[in-house]
Amino acid sequence: MSADPIISVNKLKKYYNRGAIKALDGVSLDISKGEVVVIIGPSGSGKSTLLRSLNLLEIPTSGSILFEGNDITSRGTDINKLRQKMGMVFQHFNLFPHLTIMDNMTLGPRKLLGIPRAEAEENARRLLAKVALEDRAGAYPSQLSGGQKQRIAIVRALAMKPDVLLFDEPTSALDPEMVGEVLDVMKDLAREGMTMVVVTHEMGFAREVGHRIIFMDEGRKIAEGTPEEIFEHTENERLKTFLAKVL
Amino acid sequence: MYLYQLAIGDWWNDLKDTFTLNFIDDDRYMLLVKGLGNTFLVTLGATILGILLGVIVALVRSTYDKTALGMRPGAGKVVLSLLNKIASLYLTVIRGTPVLVQLMIAYFVIFVSIAQHKTIVAIIAFGINSGAYVAEIIRSGIMSIDPGQFEAGRSLGFNYAQTMLYIIIPQALKNVLPALANEFIVLIKETSVSCYIGLHDLTKGGEIIRSRTYTAFMPLLAVALIYLVIVMFFTRLVNILERRLRNSER
Ligand SMILES: Nc1ncnc2c1ncn2[C@@H]1O[C@H](COP(=O)(O)OP(=O)(O)OP(=O)(O)O)[C@@H](O)[C@H]1O
Ligand SMILES: [Mg+2]
Repeated sequence: MSADPIISVNKLKKYYNRGAIKALDGVSLDISKGEVVVIIGPSGSGKSTLLRSLNLLEIPTSGSILFEGNDITSRGTDINKLRQKMGMVFQHFNLFPHLTIMDNMTLGPRKLLGIPRAEAEENARRLLAKVALEDRAGAYPSQLSGGQKQRIAIVRALAMKPDVLLFDEPTSALDPEMVGEVLDVMKDLAREGMTMVVVTHEMGFAREVGHRIIFMDEGRKIAEGTPEEIFEHTENERLKTFLAKVL
Repeated sequence: MYLYQLAIGDWWNDLKDTFTLNFIDDDRYMLLVKGLGNTFLVTLGATILGILLGVIVALVRSTYDKTALGMRPGAGKVVLSLLNKIASLYLTVIRGTPVLVQLMIAYFVIFVSIAQHKTIVAIIAFGINSGAYVAEIIRSGIMSIDPGQFEAGRSLGFNYAQTMLYIIIPQALKNVLPALANEFIVLIKETSVSCYIGLHDLTKGGEIIRSRTYTAFMPLLAVALIYLVIVMFFTRLVNILERRLRNSER
């Protein structure tokens, strides 16, 4: 982990309904290269809003986000270039149902990075092998199980060779028996040094894989620390109440 | 018994005579064949024009609905809301007036200079008319796509237009393909009013025969039957298409 943060969030606010709803109420946060940051907190605490602000799927009301040194909230940034470097994995997979798995994975690299089809497909095959789905390249998303879909969604994001991967509750829509296979893929990525920001309710994963845990409530960062600090030694009452409910 | 047979025989001979008079003499059936050709030409041309127009109008409308609220003030926003106004006006006017009136305005007012090309005028008039209905079909198709698809496209780095082109439009079109095919079937029948501008379509073919043979029953029945068979054929095709599409969804 280098000292220079790859993402630096400063006093980020996101208001809805002219300030009636404060989804984010001044969150500051640094993320280093290779770090796995896990965001936890009760429903409605602003976890998704924070994550989706990082690639500007939500436009913050105020505050700044530095990504690799540039303020991405300033008007001059090319949002599309930025997003190519920040992969995102969604709760509901969001694979493209009209395309085969192979085309799902090569569409971005071919159209956005200009990689020739043969090379893009070779890359895709290598990634598919990584998640043990190389035999499904020609299938359509509707022919896969939930766990398989999410593994594809992860490698589709990886095919763009991003610097950061954002996960918004990647296992929440899965049947329990499929959670493990997705978490395993994410563990592998963490081990390979991928910078990851993960919103999850999987406390086991947070404890085992997270380098740093952020606890959010009511749009604010309430507590932050190593898994040990958060799960074993916290003095924070709100965090304690939350953990008592989910553990 | 004998009388009865005589009556049947007379009736049969009458029928044969009117048939011959209306369709065989002077090769009159060719009037129907030529008319049918023009009916298809106008319908097909209008469908293609209608889909082109419909996609454009649908894109303007749904882009406005999706993005205008969150857009920063500036030239882009002004242009988009202007386009949206034009699109709404087009939809209101076209869907609020009868197609026959639109056709006559096109023929007698707007396209007077190319009035000898009746087929072209009809294609333009019916195309513009159909575009308004197609636009709403396609817009509903776009709106029915899960917003997550749009977000997934944008999160990969595709811009708005690319996301529409590669991800949203293909799915939307697939969803509304049966509705678009129905629009084609409706147009086959609707173009029959183009005999008002003297276009020799199927209906006009029957009309010409009627005016020459002074018999109405046989030529008009033939025209009705031909429309019916064509519509039934295409309806069947659309049903098969629908079933295929549903199966491919799984
Ligand atoms: N588009 C929106 N309009 C109005 N309010 C919104 C909108 N999006 C989110 N909110 C509100 O912002 C707050 C934070 O929502 P957010 O989705 O970030 O929570 P979350 O921590 O991800 O919750 P969950 O665990 O249920 O996913 C909530 O109160 C939510 O109702
Ligand atoms: Mg959420």
